[in-house]
Amino acid sequence: MNATEDFTDTDLSAWLDGEGSAERRTQIEAHLRDHPAAAARVRLWAADRDALRARLDPVLGEPVPERFARTLARDARWSNNGWARAAMAAGLLVGGGLIGSALTWQVQSQRMVAAQAGTSQGWVQRAAYAHSVFTPEPRHPVEVRAQEEHLARWLTRRTELPVKLFDLRDEGFELMGGRLLPDATGKSAQLMYENPQTKERVTVYLRKPEADAPTTFRYVKQGELGLFYWVEPGIGCALVGNLPKERLLALAQIVYKQHEQPAAASAPAR
Amino acid sequence: MSAPPAFRQQLLGAIPRLRRYARSLVYDAAAADDLVQSALERALNHWRQFDPQRDLVLWLLAIAHNAWLDGLRRDRHLDVVAPERVAEALDRERAHEPDIGLQIDLSEALARLVPDQRSALMLVIVEQLSYAEAAVVLQVPEGTVMSRVSRARAVLRAWLDGSAVPQGSHVAVKRDLRRVV
Repeated sequence: MNATEDFTDTDLSAWLDGEGSAERRTQIEAHLRDHPAAAARVRLWAADRDALRARLDPVLGEPVPERFARTLARDARWSNNGWARAAMAAGLLVGGGLIGSALTWQVQSQRMVAAQAGTSQGWVQRAAYAHSVFTPEPRHPVEVRAQEEHLARWLTRRTELPVKLFDLRDEGFELMGGRLLPDATGKSAQLMYENPQTKERVTVYLRKPEADAPTTFRYVKQGELGLFYWVEPGIGCALVGNLPKERLLALAQIVYKQHEQPAAASAPAR
Repeated sequence: MSAPPAFRQQLLGAIPRLRRYARSLVYDAAAADDLVQSALERALNHWRQFDPQRDLVLWLLAIAHNAWLDGLRRDRHLDVVAPERVAEALDRERAHEPDIGLQIDLSEALARLVPDQRSALMLVIVEQLSYAEAAVVLQVPEGTVMSRVSRARAVLRAWLDGSAVPQGSHVAVKRDLRRVV
């Protein structure tokens, strides 16, 4: 048995939270191996943590209440502008030329989502939120890292979707990993990719579609984010990123093509 | 001058995170959204104080946190649903959840945490902040975050195990007594 230091529960708790130097973490791991009771305690804390996340993470997938979008639009010059309102009502705001049009679009899209709750638009919104929420994360952008070989298997099992790890390296994007997310039709999966040079991140959102008919490629712009999405039998897919439309399209086409190919042709888990 | 559109856009993107944190502090969903609302209003009114070098989400979480503490000072009832009313509140809101028993236990256990423990625990395990980041949000030293999280875990576990209340805890109610209320 290693002559490990005696660690307090506070030390073990910090270890569970990913804190401490690599050296200290190694010591604590050795301690946990030698002390089954301490290890059992830590496992219970981890279970509590997972239960709390399971309970609270679905909030991220809820549509943002319209009152918040209204609050954010309030007092902004453009929203008090009668022309902007009229344009919005007429659905004329397509370009990004008008100051604040992105947000106006968002306010409008909130209404759309509210009006069509449960329709396919809702999940596209969730794909965009999931992108906005997780891509800025410095520490935990993904739940399971790409190096872990079981990523595709794990996501496939948990989502009941044929999750593939798409290879976007031809466009300069490396797979970082993925996470599970709640969706109206069950669990959905998010794969995150990063361009190591530019640090740009894009996400692929996969979910089980409702009974609605398959759709071809569609593009929407949501604030700064662009989304390409499509629905095939058995899977709905959205590619989300803050990139020019042509670059997003190139990525979306790769995802689309690789999804069509048999499993063996998908990117190996690295 | 009011907050620029780009800033508003960023706020909008941060709303899901804000809502999750608010929900972790305040059980009642409507009350949690009221907290988000006041945090957003504060952020819009003080947008000039935001240093773009910093992380907007951390800044917003700190604002929400302060708004929550202000609410607690104003009115204790904003805090959490009283433990004995948790089951009732859950019935009202989440009756469709299959694991309702577990949910009740967890909610009751959370209601045992003092605000300092609850906020530290939620920032670290639900918001997945590092201790250093949580320390920024809570404006306390990292060591304080570490001990609050550890303490919170012990209190939760003690409650969920139905075992003796950990020594020195604020928890005064034993598990078998709660049914009396």
